[in-house]
Amino acid sequence: MIGAEAMSVIRYRPRGAREQATAWIGMVIFLGSWAMMFAALFFSYGMLRARLPVWPPPGTPPLPRLLPGINTLIIGLSSVAMQRGLSAARRAQAAAVLPAIAAGFLLGLAFLSLQFVLWTGLWRAGLRPEGGAYPSVFYGLTAIHAIHVAVGLGGLGWLLTRAFFHAFGPARNLGLRLWTGYWHFVGAVWLLMYLTVFLI
Amino acid sequence: MQAIPSEERAAHEELQPIHHEPKSFFFKYLWSLDHKMIGRQFLWAGLGFLLVGGLLAMMIRWQWAFPGKPVPVLGSIFLRSQGGAIGPATYMTIFTMHGLIMIFFAITPVLIGAFGNFLLPLQIGARDMAFPWLNALSFWTFALSLVFVILSLFGELGAAGAGWTTYPPLSTNVGTPGSGQTWMVAAVFVTGVSTIMGGINYVTTVIRHRAPGMTWMRLPLATWGLWLTAILNVLFVPVLGSAALLLLLDRLFGTQFFIAGATASVSGGGDPILFQHLFWIFGHPEVYILILPAWGIVSDLLSFFSRKPANWYRGTVYAMIAVCVLSAMVYGHHMFLTGFTPLLGQSFMLLTLIISVPAELLFLNWLRTVWQGSIRLTTPMLFSLGMLFVFGMGGLTGLYLGATATDIYLHDTMFVVGHFHLTMAAASFVASLAAIYFWFPKMFGRRMNETLGKVHFWITLVCLVTVFSGQLLAGYSGQSRRLYDPYQYTFLKHLLGVNRVASYAAFLLLFAQFIFIYNFIRSLIAGEKAESNPWQVSTLEWFTASPPPYHNYDRIPTVLRGPHEFADPEVRRRLGRDFIGQAEELPEAMPPAVASAG
Amino acid sequence: MTLLLAPLPEKGIGLPHDASLHGWRIDALINETSVYVGLLFVIMVAWVVLACLRHGPRHEARFDHGTSTRSIAVGLCIAGAIFFVVDGPLFVNSLILARDVFGNFAKVEADPKSVRIEITAHQWAWVARYAGPDGKFNTPDDIVTFNDVVVPEGTPILFQLVSTDVIHSFNIPNMRAKIDAVPGMVNRVWFEAKETGEFDIACAQHCGLNHYKMKATLTVLPRPDWEKWAAEASANSARDYDPDDREAHWGWDWSEHARI
Repeated sequence: MIGAEAMSVIRYRPRGAREQATAWIGMVIFLGSWAMMFAALFFSYGMLRARLPVWPPPGTPPLPRLLPGINTLIIGLSSVAMQRGLSAARRAQAAAVLPAIAAGFLLGLAFLSLQFVLWTGLWRAGLRPEGGAYPSVFYGLTAIHAIHVAVGLGGLGWLLTRAFFHAFGPARNLGLRLWTGYWHFVGAVWLLMYLTVFLI
Repeated sequence: MQAIPSEERAAHEELQPIHHEPKSFFFKYLWSLDHKMIGRQFLWAGLGFLLVGGLLAMMIRWQWAFPGKPVPVLGSIFLRSQGGAIGPATYMTIFTMHGLIMIFFAITPVLIGAFGNFLLPLQIGARDMAFPWLNALSFWTFALSLVFVILSLFGELGAAGAGWTTYPPLSTNVGTPGSGQTWMVAAVFVTGVSTIMGGINYVTTVIRHRAPGMTWMRLPLATWGLWLTAILNVLFVPVLGSAALLLLLDRLFGTQFFIAGATASVSGGGDPILFQHLFWIFGHPEVYILILPAWGIVSDLLSFFSRKPANWYRGTVYAMIAVCVLSAMVYGHHMFLTGFTPLLGQSFMLLTLIISVPAELLFLNWLRTVWQGSIRLTTPMLFSLGMLFVFGMGGLTGLYLGATATDIYLHDTMFVVGHFHLTMAAASFVASLAAIYFWFPKMFGRRMNETLGKVHFWITLVCLVTVFSGQLLAGYSGQSRRLYDPYQYTFLKHLLGVNRVASYAAFLLLFAQFIFIYNFIRSLIAGEKAESNPWQVSTLEWFTASPPPYHNYDRIPTVLRGPHEFADPEVRRRLGRDFIGQAEELPEAMPPAVASAG
Repeated sequence: MTLLLAPLPEKGIGLPHDASLHGWRIDALINETSVYVGLLFVIMVAWVVLACLRHGPRHEARFDHGTSTRSIAVGLCIAGAIFFVVDGPLFVNSLILARDVFGNFAKVEADPKSVRIEITAHQWAWVARYAGPDGKFNTPDDIVTFNDVVVPEGTPILFQLVSTDVIHSFNIPNMRAKIDAVPGMVNRVWFEAKETGEFDIACAQHCGLNHYKMKATLTVLPRPDWEKWAAEASANSARDYDPDDREAHWGWDWSEHARI
């Protein structure tokens, strides 16, 4: 009894165009809301930086620029891959969807791995979170961003399995569209983080 | 009146098909996707924690009336190890938990969780929220945050103690090293996630699921209030979320976002004032988050029970929008004494004072709605008028605090406490009660007892005003807030009398709520059965059964007019009554049956 | 030096006794606002009561959406008038008071009579430091007092404050002076006492367990008495000075408004 009812509640249901548009609006509102959270983090960074005479404070190891630069490229390529997967699904090129999502997923994984290399390197160089505002901003902001990347990877992994079993099509790509939107958002936040925390 | 094309109706029926009502306990009561059930879940959880927060308030009042004396009843249950009396450490956690529980775990779930969920789809003529699954997830995320609150109560070194504002460095390990504080910050973060989920749902639902013909300027004002609140939630709760996250990083991982001065290991530490910025960028909109639904509900109820259209509907809507726009630009008045540059403080003062203009427009509209009406002093109407009274007091006392000069003296005194309790606590609470008395028949299909409701109203109003006037007077006389024993100070010794009177009123206030609880439970079980439209009002939800079926409307209504069509002579002539529903077609002539009966 | 009466208790509900030269200006603004606010509130309540009495169930409601141009104009005009009459004076007076009195540090700093005091707040005490005869802080002749601030009458008193742990708020109700003490930044406040006596200094910001006991005494002495007290205290400090006690040398260079 319960089994059948559970199925009726959670079963996959094809969604009409209007319903898809509603879901997309919900996603946009969510990303707008979450952008406010990142805006608050950037505001914090700005305030902490503005009250110190020298940034970075003397005696702290400088942040590398090359490695996170490469990472910016990687997450950008990952976004491009996801977008190509989405347009392939829209054009009904089922065969092109799976490789694109796989590429997006693997590049995302590479991004997280390089972030890990970045953290361990700086940790070994003696940059610790308890060292003041500068390392706090670096570790805090990149860690919070990395959690969002990890959540996105979970979503991409789920898309990957779905793409494996039943290809996305022109009328059935809502999940792909929503997660791709999220993935672009995470990438854009990273670009901003690279520009502010690492470059200037 | 423009006709609604039939394709639009068909599209709505297709978008919101009728689903089967689940029958098993799990899907009907626990993981329910029905907005009415989720609203009720929020109502029970919120009312439960309202009682917890209320009992904590009673303990604070006891301490101010009889400092250091054993607390009757509660003391012998919860404070046995301290001989029933409240110690300074316990006192700290009591007022902190009182504030946090009331704001995030009582008023928010009742006004926004319960009434937002219950009303929004019904009032716009929808069958459910845009994202029912997200809605259920929102409630269970909220439930998870309640678990965190309870864990905090049993934390080592006691529950959270840094005040509801949680200012660092006091709220970091420097000031409150116990796990109770950590759990509470985490609880606020998790409940924030729940609020954002709800907010996304509410915003999207009103944009997408309005019935055909339900234009923006035909929305009931309660829906406007709840929708604007949802927008503020979506925009500003994430800012609180980031503050909570950074605070958790400071507490758990040793970062130094908010730790400075001698406690920081090196120079170049963090900035305690940064937290205040983040907190109040959220915190001032939060004040309006808690009061906008109340404004909306009261705006509707005043019109309904004056049997007269709401005065200048658009003005009320524009005023509420103006308040929302200004809400995030005034937050600095909470920080006048933190060492702002004069220009910054004065800019915030100007913006703060400007916000009184839309507030005055709201009041004028309310006053002009009841004037020349045909007022029915039912319980919901009494509570609505009571809201005008307490919110009037609260709003006017805000003037002193928005100006930099008068704020020097009044900042951080009980005057502030009285002011924000009158606006956020008393006004939201009274409006919540108005809403409960008004929509009870729709929610549960039965009517509440009017006599008990009126008794409840008068005691509640008198007590609320006494308690919070007492706070205003104590603050005006110089009493600082959050003092375990104010009478340590010579210049406050004479205030014991005022505080005692306020405390007695508070105890009576608590007892009056038992009248409400009795009335509520009795009506739930044995109340008079309610027909679909017991109050004879015009919004959509009153034109479906009480309680509404699982899918709300058998046929999605087509809306023809605004929400407050009362006293129209044409309607009276043709229908023989003083109101017409938003989706009711006006017949050509009076039906013969009514004509002969009348 | 035996003027040490305890702080006098206050009587009745109302603003505490004002012992400062400029406090009356805040009080006057509060009281003026109270008149307007009280009036508005009475009008509102009377309006509602009258409406309930006159326009009850037997009264026929008027079919009026309040959307005529005239009706809207009346509403806007009333709101605007209230804003200018009630909010206006608050705003203008706050600006004037900030410029001329409470925020006018330049004038106080230029006054040769002004007394400068550094305050360090910590859980749960106020420690005060006077520069002593050399006029410099953090030198052997500094006077350091604990929960005890002694100032002369009829002289501007200028405070700079820091906190070493959590946020405190330095509050002297009888002088209408209040400012937060925040770790990592220096804040300032000033007042001038117009009468001698003892007054409570309180903490206005929740700062932990003993917040309610974070109390100090402000003693206002006639200027000659205060000078005698300062000379004596400074001599005592110089005698007891211990250069190795690093903890005791928390003072900072006054002219620099540097953050710690």
